[in-house]
Amino acid sequence: MTITSPVETTVPSGDFPFSSRFDFVRLSDFPLIPVLILSTIALVAIFANVLAPHNPEIGSLTARFKPPFWQAGGSTKYLLGTDQLGRDVLSRLIFGARVSMVVGFTAVIFAGAVGTTLGIISGYLGGWVDQVIMRLTDTWLALPALTFAIFLAAIVGPSMWNIVLIFGITYWTRYARVTRGEVLSLKEREFVRLAIVAGCSKFTIMLRHILPNILNTAIVLGSLELGVVIIAEATLSFLGIGVPPPQPAWGLMLADGKQSLMVGRWWLSVLPGCCIMLMVLSANILGDWLRVKLDPQLRQL
Amino acid sequence: MKQYITRRVGYCLLSLFLLSVTIFFFVRVTGDPATLLVEPGASEADIAAIHHQFGLDKPLWVQYGIFLASLAHGDLGQSFYYRTPVMELYLSRLPNSLYLAAVAMALSLLIGIPSGVLASVRVGHFWDNFGKMFTLLGLSLPSFWVGLVLILVFSVYLGWLPSSGAGTPLHLIMPAFALGWYFAAAHMRLTRSSMLEVLGSEYVKLARLKGLPQSLVIAKHAFKNALIPVLTLAGINLVIMVNVAIVVEVVFAWPGIGRLLYEGITFRDFPVVQGVVLMGGTMIVIVNMVIDILYAVIDPRIRLGS
Amino acid sequence: MNPPIERRKDRARASGLTRRAALVAAGAAATATTLAPYRVFAATPQGQLTWGVHVSLAPTWFDPAETPGLITPFMVLYALHDAMVKPMPGQPFAPCLAESVGASEDGLSYEFVLRKEATFHNGDPVTAEDVKFSFERYRGASHDVMKARVAAIETPDQRHVNFKLKTAWPDFLTFYGSATGAGWIVPKKYVEKVGADGFKKAPIGAGPYKFVSFTPGVELVFEAFEQYWRKTPGVKRLVFRVIQEETTRLAALKRGEVDIVYSIRGELAEELQRTPSLTLKPVASPATFWLYFADQWDAKSPWHDERVRLAASLAVDRPSINQALTLGLSKLTGNPIVPDFFDFYWQAPAPPYDPAKAGRFLAEAGYPKGFDAGDYYCDSSYSNLAEAVVDNLGAVGIRTKLRPLERAAFLEGYGKKSLKNIIQGGTGAFGNAATRLEAVAVKGGVYAYGSDPEIDRMFQEQAAEMDHERRTVILRKMQQLLAERTIFAPIWQLAFINGVGPRVGQSGFDLIQGFAYTGPYEDITLKGS
Repeated sequence: MTITSPVETTVPSGDFPFSSRFDFVRLSDFPLIPVLILSTIALVAIFANVLAPHNPEIGSLTARFKPPFWQAGGSTKYLLGTDQLGRDVLSRLIFGARVSMVVGFTAVIFAGAVGTTLGIISGYLGGWVDQVIMRLTDTWLALPALTFAIFLAAIVGPSMWNIVLIFGITYWTRYARVTRGEVLSLKEREFVRLAIVAGCSKFTIMLRHILPNILNTAIVLGSLELGVVIIAEATLSFLGIGVPPPQPAWGLMLADGKQSLMVGRWWLSVLPGCCIMLMVLSANILGDWLRVKLDPQLRQL
Repeated sequence: MKQYITRRVGYCLLSLFLLSVTIFFFVRVTGDPATLLVEPGASEADIAAIHHQFGLDKPLWVQYGIFLASLAHGDLGQSFYYRTPVMELYLSRLPNSLYLAAVAMALSLLIGIPSGVLASVRVGHFWDNFGKMFTLLGLSLPSFWVGLVLILVFSVYLGWLPSSGAGTPLHLIMPAFALGWYFAAAHMRLTRSSMLEVLGSEYVKLARLKGLPQSLVIAKHAFKNALIPVLTLAGINLVIMVNVAIVVEVVFAWPGIGRLLYEGITFRDFPVVQGVVLMGGTMIVIVNMVIDILYAVIDPRIRLGS
Repeated sequence: MNPPIERRKDRARASGLTRRAALVAAGAAATATTLAPYRVFAATPQGQLTWGVHVSLAPTWFDPAETPGLITPFMVLYALHDAMVKPMPGQPFAPCLAESVGASEDGLSYEFVLRKEATFHNGDPVTAEDVKFSFERYRGASHDVMKARVAAIETPDQRHVNFKLKTAWPDFLTFYGSATGAGWIVPKKYVEKVGADGFKKAPIGAGPYKFVSFTPGVELVFEAFEQYWRKTPGVKRLVFRVIQEETTRLAALKRGEVDIVYSIRGELAEELQRTPSLTLKPVASPATFWLYFADQWDAKSPWHDERVRLAASLAVDRPSINQALTLGLSKLTGNPIVPDFFDFYWQAPAPPYDPAKAGRFLAEAGYPKGFDAGDYYCDSSYSNLAEAVVDNLGAVGIRTKLRPLERAAFLEGYGKKSLKNIIQGGTGAFGNAATRLEAVAVKGGVYAYGSDPEIDRMFQEQAAEMDHERRTVILRKMQQLLAERTIFAPIWQLAFINGVGPRVGQSGFDLIQGFAYTGPYEDITLKGS
């Protein structure tokens, strides 16, 4: 739960004036399956080198388009089939988990760090600092995220880390806005007033009092943004400016496989699609649950 | 009140000004349109001629000045690729995008609101979860993929719907669904949380105490009040949708501004990109401002406090 | 492959005829041969055909004065306009609006005689004034070259136009007839009346089809011009729909929403081949692809050693890649730069695939375990090709990192010479071997990072050479030298794969050699008509 000072208490989560029938903050609501899925993906990403049966980036043209082993023409050598260059799909999915995890988490943390910091500064300091940051945010919001990402990709060129950078720069605005709103209300609280009276510097207050209380919001936002970033990565790949080949990324596999779908080679498209879906769905369900548990006041998400 | 409005309008203009500067300089960093308008291997002279034709050989500040001056006349410049005024291109395609966004929004609300209500009310476990899952699924699949699968299933295999382009209402169904499904989740969440708030309000508690049946309580009182923030969000999202529909428009060859923007970026057609982004940004900023002002009208604390 | 004027010149020399007599004789012969089989009894055009086009149609393409040097505008030009001389079935320089072309022996003047029955869509005849006007207003690709070389244009009467050149220029007809839009004729009176912008909104030309309507980026509609001099077109209405997404384009063809689609690649081409109601139409495009070793001019780089470059070329499994990516339809050629139907083409021996030999060469050059070759740059639309080649190179030890770039960024980097190591280049530009070599292999060329002085010297020599035979010899030697030294590693001459639906009779594909799109439009028919 939130970290508080002895004087102040946060609104307990069970304070909704519901009868028990409508109160769904119960332990049995813990999203077990999504958490398991996400953990599995994380583990797969970490141990990819050990788990993957083949090299994901090298294939042989003679082994192209083999279907998964349970279909006619498949073999157990390539459990989930091969792609247009003869690369093993299973290995690519496994290593792709790494890319998705790295891109997803790093981008979210990056965007979160930037956005939360700006939100705290803006909300707490107020005045012209607030105005400048808010106008900046407005301008950024007026520029559609995808368009912005496309521009940046055109400028810096596509590579995995550039994509992370692009997402970080593109998606910080929501953090900033929501955080600022939170900070504005937190500013008026007793414990902050006490800290000011006690002579803490602005910086100390922001860092040691405000930030910990904001973290919940940031975490909830982060879990929801994770899904957005993963989908955005796939979309950029579709437009040809995502994580560059031959690196295996689920979004890239999905985009590459779109032709195969028409031809009947469903596994090249459906399998990465399922992986993306599972990861994003899990992140979203987890995020929803976290929001209810940690910060029910959040509405505008 | 007037002071608040003036201030908000001022901020709006400032944001737009910043946006114009940002987009102007940004596009010019993305590359040189001349290289795309000639076959590889063209001579230096050809490329220089194109630069001159588009005024790209003038210093940046001069170009920006010209840009602002034309903007004051409502002139967004002329497309490098199409050689037609950008405003004309934009206005001819905007209705298509609005049309698509409106239908997509309707579908999105159709999916999102009932799911949200069910999720807040917990009528029966299966339908409640099903609704939530279906909505969240829309958030978990990239829209281009959804679009392509829809084309394959409904257009190629089943032959029920036309595969691309615009024209009849039938053309609208698949792209609207591909676009709207993604936003359904946001509407579901908002519906659910505002339903919960309303259901917990004193007014509803009183109604229940009075012995009114559950369904009536939900239907008549909770729902109507819960709907207000959802519709507000929908309004904002509509504008966002218009600007975000790039991918869906490309997949379905829908003649909207998303595709115009995409082509503009691909061809480094500076005026088109500037124009579309600026117009889109203007819409968003204005909508946000109007909503802020409306809230200020309703809630005096807001305009007095800031 | 020689332009017709050469033949006439030789004939004149041989029989001692005067130039004038030769021209007249040639003119009559040309008129007879070109006119005779084409003036078909005027049947009424019927029906409609729809194209699914892969690029966005731009109004600049309606105006030949602005042809930017891309191939795509010609998709529209062949329908809407006509030229004095242009590539046609069986003839790379077929006289069209001109019924005859003659060149003086010294190569300083070219005389065109206009066809009597050539008219514009508004009924006005095509006159010498229009020809002169069209040339003077031309501001597209290479217009500076054209303007610099042409001293004057004389119009002695309504049907005769003389181009006077400053110096002998053997490539004049190549530039006037195929590489630029300067020879495509627009009506002077009309253009002056409505202005350039008005012209682009409602263009009028002398081609087989009239402009009906255009929604930018969406749809273009043409209607048959029944008084077209060559023949009455078979199809009444042509509709061009822009569908950039490949899968959607094929879906439209499958459903019969369009009748012809351009540019179907990879697996979709397989699907096209497999569908019984559809026909796959590959066209040998003028697009050649190659690997450029950007660092070879640097003595410290491994690529400076010819053996290393040769090893790279030997490592590429072209047949398999061809089969995998273009159904084996691309042409595997040892000539990296010049397509096989271009003037002055030199036929290179087919490039072998021999990874063992490649390994040996690398070892000889001092890299028995291969080496880290840096970055491999390509246009991201061709990354599927690049991935396969990178794989092949890696298999013999040449380790590279693939860097696909968006088209704009790629072309800019290549032209500014900021890309290093290996570059997968390609071009589809019109012209002949000389124009291609100029851009990539000769000093001062946009894509030439360095050059060989011998090759430079030979290039200057052939530029001044008026005699076609001698020029051919020089240019062929140049290409041979480039191949022997493996300045480039050839990849292929790309097959442009298109799809045709069941309603189409004559699709117009592959009639004009080297033309990637359907043409001539007046020859296109519906099935059963």
